[in-house]
Amino acid sequence: MKTMKVTFRVNDEKVTLQVRPYETLLETLRERLDLIGAKEACVMGACGTCTVVVNGIPLRSCLVLTPEVDGASVTTVEGLKKDEKLHPLQEAFMEKGAVQCGFCTSGMLMTAKALLDRNKRPTKKEITKTISSNICRCTGYKKIVEAVEEAAKKSI
Amino acid sequence: MENEFTTVGKRVVRSDSLAKVTGEAYYTADIKLPGMLIAKVLRSPYPHAKILHIDLKRALKVPGVKAAISGFDTYGIKWGVFRYTKDHPMLPTDKVRYIGEDVAAVAAVDEETALEALSYIRVDYEPLPAVFDPEEAMQEGAPQIHNEFANNINIHVHIDVGKVDEAMKNAFLVREDTFKAAGEAYAMMEPYAVVASHKNGFLDLWMPNAGPHVRAKALSNLLKIPLNRVRIRHINSGGAFGGRSEVSPGDLIASLLSIKAGGPVKLALSREENAISTRQVHDMIAMVKTGMKKDGTIVAKDYRVVYDGGAYSSTGPIATSVPFYVYEECYRFPNVRYNGYRVFTNKGIRGMYGCHGRAFLAGNEAQMDFMANELGMDPVEIRLKNGLTSGEITATKSKITSCGLKETIQKSSERTGFKKKWAKTQKFKGIGMGCVAMMCGFPMGFRSGSSCYVKMNDDGQVTLVTGLVDNGQGNESLAIQIASEVLGVPMEDINLINADTEVTNLDPGAYSQAATFVGANAVKVACENARRKIVSIAAQKLGVREADIVLKNRVAYSKKTPDNKMPISWVVREAFFRGDPIVATGSFFPKIDFEREWVSRPWGQMAGTFSFGTSVAEVVIDRETGKVTIPHFTAAHDCGRPINPMAVEGQMEGSIQQAGVATIMEGNLWERGFLLNPDLLEYKVPLACDMPDIETIIVSSRDPEGPFGAKEGGLTIRMNAHSAVACAVANATGTLFRELPLTPDRVLDALERKKGIKR
Amino acid sequence: MILPKFEYKKAGNIAKAIAFYELYNGQARYLAGGTDLIPLVKLRLSTAMAIIDLKGIKELKAISHQGGWLLIGANVTLFELKNNDTVREYFPALYESLDATSCETLQMRGTIGGNILQDTRCLLYNKTLEWRTARGFCFKMGGETCNVVPNARACFSNYCSDNALSLIALSASVKLSGPQGERKMRLEEIFSGDGRNPFTLMPGEILTEILIPMKRSKGAYKKLRVRDSIDYPLLGVAVSIKGKTGRVCVGGIGPTPLVYNLKDINGSTFKDVAEKAYSDARPVSNTTLSPDYRKKMVSVLIQRASKKVLQEGK
Repeated sequence: MKTMKVTFRVNDEKVTLQVRPYETLLETLRERLDLIGAKEACVMGACGTCTVVVNGIPLRSCLVLTPEVDGASVTTVEGLKKDEKLHPLQEAFMEKGAVQCGFCTSGMLMTAKALLDRNKRPTKKEITKTISSNICRCTGYKKIVEAVEEAAKKSI
Repeated sequence: MENEFTTVGKRVVRSDSLAKVTGEAYYTADIKLPGMLIAKVLRSPYPHAKILHIDLKRALKVPGVKAAISGFDTYGIKWGVFRYTKDHPMLPTDKVRYIGEDVAAVAAVDEETALEALSYIRVDYEPLPAVFDPEEAMQEGAPQIHNEFANNINIHVHIDVGKVDEAMKNAFLVREDTFKAAGEAYAMMEPYAVVASHKNGFLDLWMPNAGPHVRAKALSNLLKIPLNRVRIRHINSGGAFGGRSEVSPGDLIASLLSIKAGGPVKLALSREENAISTRQVHDMIAMVKTGMKKDGTIVAKDYRVVYDGGAYSSTGPIATSVPFYVYEECYRFPNVRYNGYRVFTNKGIRGMYGCHGRAFLAGNEAQMDFMANELGMDPVEIRLKNGLTSGEITATKSKITSCGLKETIQKSSERTGFKKKWAKTQKFKGIGMGCVAMMCGFPMGFRSGSSCYVKMNDDGQVTLVTGLVDNGQGNESLAIQIASEVLGVPMEDINLINADTEVTNLDPGAYSQAATFVGANAVKVACENARRKIVSIAAQKLGVREADIVLKNRVAYSKKTPDNKMPISWVVREAFFRGDPIVATGSFFPKIDFEREWVSRPWGQMAGTFSFGTSVAEVVIDRETGKVTIPHFTAAHDCGRPINPMAVEGQMEGSIQQAGVATIMEGNLWERGFLLNPDLLEYKVPLACDMPDIETIIVSSRDPEGPFGAKEGGLTIRMNAHSAVACAVANATGTLFRELPLTPDRVLDALERKKGIKR
Repeated sequence: MILPKFEYKKAGNIAKAIAFYELYNGQARYLAGGTDLIPLVKLRLSTAMAIIDLKGIKELKAISHQGGWLLIGANVTLFELKNNDTVREYFPALYESLDATSCETLQMRGTIGGNILQDTRCLLYNKTLEWRTARGFCFKMGGETCNVVPNARACFSNYCSDNALSLIALSASVKLSGPQGERKMRLEEIFSGDGRNPFTLMPGEILTEILIPMKRSKGAYKKLRVRDSIDYPLLGVAVSIKGKTGRVCVGGIGPTPLVYNLKDINGSTFKDVAEKAYSDARPVSNTTLSPDYRKKMVSVLIQRASKKVLQEGK
């Protein structure tokens, strides 16, 4: 089957790739671009582990065909750092102990980033609702919610 | 609490978290090696069938396929954790015993090719009658799953202490109830994956695991490769919860394929494969009979517990015992009889689980509340009355050396206003309490102890080498924190090399709650040995007595005259000049009875120490839908001294999710041999919105043997949070539960049984 | 799990999308948010030579008022719609069902058109090819009988859109465009009653627009689920009333929602509907909770929704 040319921005860098039309964004990120931060956990959209931000919207990259993001701007966990400085969410996740096994972490971070980008001061309830899009098996979520609250305070 | 330490007891940022928040942390599926092939496994579509023939020829002809294997390519050696449980062929040649069992595999240049090749593998089966219910499986005439195990009874643990029948006869109050529970899914976020690379006669492997040495040994045996040529390497693990303790068929498959293909092979399981073919949790039926005196003293316990073991033994003897032990290590049972049966069925293999035994544990606790109520007591009183205290000996002869049980009960009940809420609950609201003890390590032969090696580098930095394993709990950070404290250097100066069989010594791994008490203790001893050498040189150089030397912030100085100081790096260099560099080893062996055996000799000292905990759940029941919500959850845990309180809290909070909230939603669903919810949509891992407000209370009991007084951190909550929720629902409905999870349909049934009327 | 091979085509307008469909002789599937379609394709439950992406069609993204209707383009995401002022003020039932749909992240991707046209679900159907092959194909997969109800030559899969129920309660209509041209029908008319092929859409037809009469309503949506996010409904009940008339719609049980028209609403109206719906509902053992329980909950949720609706504005 023919491949397709797709051009999009990943973490502020323009990439042009030849991809299979039936390739998911998750596969492209991990296999072609070596951006392994987005993890494969269910690949059915049920868990949020593979969440990346596309044009400001959090997307489960396992449900997105790469050709769909032609022309779009994609941010992965690797693009959270700016000028070698950690994003406030990354700092807060570390300081609040919101990371255990770490497998859901990048998806959680990207879901939370999209939230803070559209709502600078979310309430605890709003944070809880937003991260109820993602499954974490380790933490009981308490420290994740606290970390997002902390990051929101810091980013203002 | 006043803390005399620099890092121990502090809420430090875990050493592994930076890589995890930046996405740089490597997990097995992230590994890419030159020329790496992709493996896929063909699985059994039958719950029980004879294998007549396996034909790989056509699969091997698919362009891009580099190897194909079945059980006929193995030495036919069966794996078992114990000498008497060697029943798992990994790749069977005689028959398949559950749907999803590994039958054959291919390695190809990519996934598409591997999948195409799988479709060309022909397996001829002759279906056999199958059995799915453990009680049916024990009946005469039931289909036999293994010839060596009559009536499909895999393990029978029989414990009989004192005179149970007599004590029951003389008891003031006797009650017998039966409780059931569905097995849970581990549902670790990372599906199982393994990379095997066989090169120049050496086999390197990466996979999420709880103990690399156990795997290396097993693979060495199964593949007939000398142990030094099987090297399990360090990799991050996306969760284990007890489900990644043993060698897995995937390990053997990837290894064999790599040997055949002559290149590295990656096998990454799908979510469904992870659910059906790795490990599941035991379904259980627990008969609990209790005799009490009029004053609430438990005089006798009589148990018959049936564990659905699935198709193979796995850690069977341990799984059949642990729920009982964590309970008898918590309460005083002068007379107790336990008959635990692990029974084979034609379902997936069941393993140990962090929350293992909820039917038994929650059943005991809920029944105790009902008996207490009859005697005019409340759950707090009855637990305090029967709870063990420091210095006591358990029914099976383990001594309790440090015990904060009483404090966990008192603090959690005071904080929640337990007694008042329990006695006079509002309609459809309930409160419940669960207690448990947890062994910190248990007998595993020479693997019960841990050894550590530490060297000081010429810049004063430290390299720490230990077999200790981290499955996400924070064990790596724990080791670094302890070394930092002892050696007086910041955590970032310490490089940890761990969980690599080539360079590390034996260690129990992230198994049996031994990491802190055993693994970190060895780290502490090694660092203390290194410290002595540093102190000796520093004392000489600074002209003070050794006892006056303090190591802190990379500096050695005199306590009396702090300006009299030198960098630790200078000490290290001096040691190099003297031809006696600062390197040290240390080991720790817990004081346990190594004669103790799960089946043949179930008595003697079980563990070096025990942790204790109490959970309190508050629930609200929707009277019309039966849906339970848990607005508040309070957990108190005696962890000795918390090394990193933030990490201990994290363990407790995760436990409240995985055991507590799970009690109202988690359970594997079966239709005969078919797992109906092998995914993350229909298997209900609680979400943030389903979580209660959590309060965690850390109780310090300063264990005399633990590193800085520490024991394990958080597992008691994982083993009693289900009890708290089940007891709270019983409190609210006025009836004992029959089966877990307490899904709304079951709760509504209970309400209807009781017509919604409170006691 | 890798996807099977297919071509990807992006359409800039409806005519082009239909042209692509015809180019592939009907062996094509339309893609909007993909939150329903992509898992189905991964599971090999839906196969296509081509996937035709509709997200580039601008006209499908608009929300507008026109001639007494609120017109919602099929590609408006659930999240956008939830945050639309008109929806919040005029159609509380729809607002509540949107808010109860899956989780925020999927609301931001899933579209209202896709949500309505999602395939019906069953615990024994939404499984991998390997699982289904081992179990044996069911009626919906082309097998002889149902795997849930032994020997039944019928499909009892459940229609799990939350929002279609509210829209039906609000007497919404839909516009369809296909190779045969355009047509409009009441939303409840898109259901075929057959779980194998649950919709009456003709080959190549695209749901382009949803039309809701612009009348302020009182309403509620009640959803039965185990977790308060992500989960599909095990039962959904939408109630919407305008003055003395209104509608109740019950879904999540079987392939077609149940619809009840309410006239001259009085004290016993909802009790009667609850009883009627209870006896009409035929759940089978194809979800994680028992059919008896789901049936019982039909009347409970109807009474609950009605209570909320009747209390509103008091």
